[in-house]
Amino acid sequence: MLSRVADALFWMSRYFERAEHVARLLDVWFHLELDLSGAGAPYEMHWTSLTAILQQHVPALGNDVLPQVGIAHWLTFDLDNPGSIMACITRARLNARSIRGTINSEIWRELNKLYWKLSDPEFIRRSKESPYEFYQAVEAGSALFQGLCDATSTHDEGWQFIQLGKFVERADKTLRILDIQYHLLRDLTNPADVSLSTLHWAAVLMSCRAYESYQRRHVGRVEPARVVNFLLLDPSFPRSVRFSLEAMARSLNAIERDAHPRELSKADRLLGLMLAELTYRPLEQILASDLHDFLSRLIDQVGQVSRAIQERYSLR
Amino acid sequence: MLWSEYPCMSGVAEVAEREGLFTGYTLGQAYDEMFARPGEPRWHYASLHRQLSSLSYDAFRRIKVMTDLSMLQDGVGFTVYRQEEGIERVWPMDPIPRIIPAQEWQVIERGLIQRILALNLFLKDVYNDQFILRDRVIDPRLVFEGAFFRREFVGAKVPRDIYIHICGTDLIRDVNGRYLVLEDNGRTPSGVSYMLTNRQVLKRVWPQVFESYTVQSNDDYPSALLDVLRYIAPGGRPDPTVVLLSPGIYNSAYFEHTFLAQRMGIELVEGRDLVVDQNRVYMRTTRGLERVDVIYRRIDDDFLDPLVFRPDSILGVPGLINAYRAGQVSLANGVGTGIADDKGIYPFVPDMIRYYLKQDPILDNVETFRPLVPSHLQHILANLERLVVKTVNESGGYGMLIGPASTAEQRDKFREHIRQQPRNFIAQPVVQLSTHPTFVEGGIEGRHVDLRPFVLCGEKVVVVPGALTRVALPRGSLVVNSSQGGGSKDTWVLAE
Repeated sequence: MLSRVADALFWMSRYFERAEHVARLLDVWFHLELDLSGAGAPYEMHWTSLTAILQQHVPALGNDVLPQVGIAHWLTFDLDNPGSIMACITRARLNARSIRGTINSEIWRELNKLYWKLSDPEFIRRSKESPYEFYQAVEAGSALFQGLCDATSTHDEGWQFIQLGKFVERADKTLRILDIQYHLLRDLTNPADVSLSTLHWAAVLMSCRAYESYQRRHVGRVEPARVVNFLLLDPSFPRSVRFSLEAMARSLNAIERDAHPRELSKADRLLGLMLAELTYRPLEQILASDLHDFLSRLIDQVGQVSRAIQERYSLR
Repeated sequence: MLWSEYPCMSGVAEVAEREGLFTGYTLGQAYDEMFARPGEPRWHYASLHRQLSSLSYDAFRRIKVMTDLSMLQDGVGFTVYRQEEGIERVWPMDPIPRIIPAQEWQVIERGLIQRILALNLFLKDVYNDQFILRDRVIDPRLVFEGAFFRREFVGAKVPRDIYIHICGTDLIRDVNGRYLVLEDNGRTPSGVSYMLTNRQVLKRVWPQVFESYTVQSNDDYPSALLDVLRYIAPGGRPDPTVVLLSPGIYNSAYFEHTFLAQRMGIELVEGRDLVVDQNRVYMRTTRGLERVDVIYRRIDDDFLDPLVFRPDSILGVPGLINAYRAGQVSLANGVGTGIADDKGIYPFVPDMIRYYLKQDPILDNVETFRPLVPSHLQHILANLERLVVKTVNESGGYGMLIGPASTAEQRDKFREHIRQQPRNFIAQPVVQLSTHPTFVEGGIEGRHVDLRPFVLCGEKVVVVPGALTRVALPRGSLVVNSSQGGGSKDTWVLAE
């Protein structure tokens, strides 16, 4: 497969996954805000944590702009922000456009439909009043996109690059959500804060589309340690870090199998080391150490894996 | 389906006719594709006419809206880029199909086959023995002074002696309905993807219209094209690697490039994906370099290889031309085919047909005056306001003077140019292109159309039954180019 094509597949998928995460986070945060206003918590902190997860520095807002409205606009529509949903969808589409000869036309059509829908001034106007519809459209579009990739393309080398893009992004985002929220919430130990803590941890699960799956596993109140266990270590939940890394390892393996069967690439080694830790280290040990340290090391390593992949297959 | 099967519908149709879509449809002096006389459709349009007449304006408008939406969602269009996101324009399709009866098509087909055979024999001749020039059928200076004659390729061999593998020939109809060849596009003709997607879209948005017709499928085009490309592999190599070389997403025909690459199942490459080593062409892949045998190139000669042609080209591949000359890679179309569709050579195509094939041309040219001939020059200068003057090396509707629509100042300028560079111009009488019912704001009106069938030349010559019909959307306009406000139509070739 052409390196340029592999690159475009990787980034198309990665940008789409990123758009989906931003959309869901915003959706969850808007809901949480409504709940928090009842609980009397400061929402400054609430929005700061969101921009921290997304590594975003929101430009100074005018005095007449409500902070949440300004932030939401910056993260949703603003094309000057390369991390906004519209910028991500635009780039996913640009990448797809550059390889229209390679991806199935159904995939292109759905991506294109979503782009035009989100660009429609009338839809944007409606979305500003009720953002839910907009974020739903992005999430549904992403599910449709990945579903079509899985169901209509051959699971060949190109498909593996789509998987890599998706799971690199997913691992990264899940790790960051855990990292920031754990940091923020570990001081909520006062019994009076229990309901606040529960709200927040439920939001963490929802941010990873994990709430219902978690509840089917664990009955009762949402508990931080169980959330960490589920999102970090669960081997069968498709949005957990371990699942994502294993999927990346499988894809790399499939790409390398025919080309260099005996050779381990740098990305392979890194993934193997990370997976050994996530598979064999007991949760108690992970929680007993500095979790923030642990998570930021993983975030860094996911970045290294991504760079190693790009280098090996001469992606850009 | 016979009309008599639906006796009850005739009354309905008559009512709709009075208030329907065709209200106010007028016939001009041009040949109308649908109507022989006012209100009287030709036999092959009768059924379509009935269906249209039974539809209300709003019902048909919905079909048009669905057509536009479908084109937008499929990303069928050309692009004008500004910032990163770009301005994408859909090439508007009119949902009223153009219909060509089988017998009429057979004549067109035979004429096109004859024409491409002659053009390829001409190219082989001028790049080798040059008999036609020595016999003075064509003035040698016309060829040697042509901007697209590549003297570097004189004596070079091309696989199977085919130079033009894909030709898009523009046909028009005069006031009597006679098909005439307006020009041959033998370099990198485009538009075939619209021929194919227009059919797909029309089937989706207005399936009922197909019910009373047996339309020949045009869907075989990509396979037929791939057959041609495989046929010209260097040294007849079995199972060759074929790629499509595109200038990239900023090219206005990029949609077509991806469409064809996908339908043929071949890789779409850009110049930067290819590398030449020891006269062999490779593409850069995730597993290293992979050999390429045949390139369907959609880049003009000038940009193919910065070492040979334009040194500032970043679209091309350094060393490609040497590899081509060494017979290590095949190009379709070949290099230097532009001399065959040079408008200065065009008037001689009928002579080529007689010279090489010993046949009479089946399709006629449009009457053409050449300023190099003194009597023609006189005629041109005296009748400029009644003629269309074309620059020989321009296409896409650029570099033209349309006499009746020109100002005295423009005509003076062209007179001067023509006197100074007679080789660079030709002049033709204004042909009233045929009109075809077309949906516009307010109903159906006649608009001028042309016809571009696509001819493939490999082991045999294939004309896939179908064509691109371009339509000039502004009222009275004779310019059908997409860059100048044109649209397109699905084009049906009937089986019977």
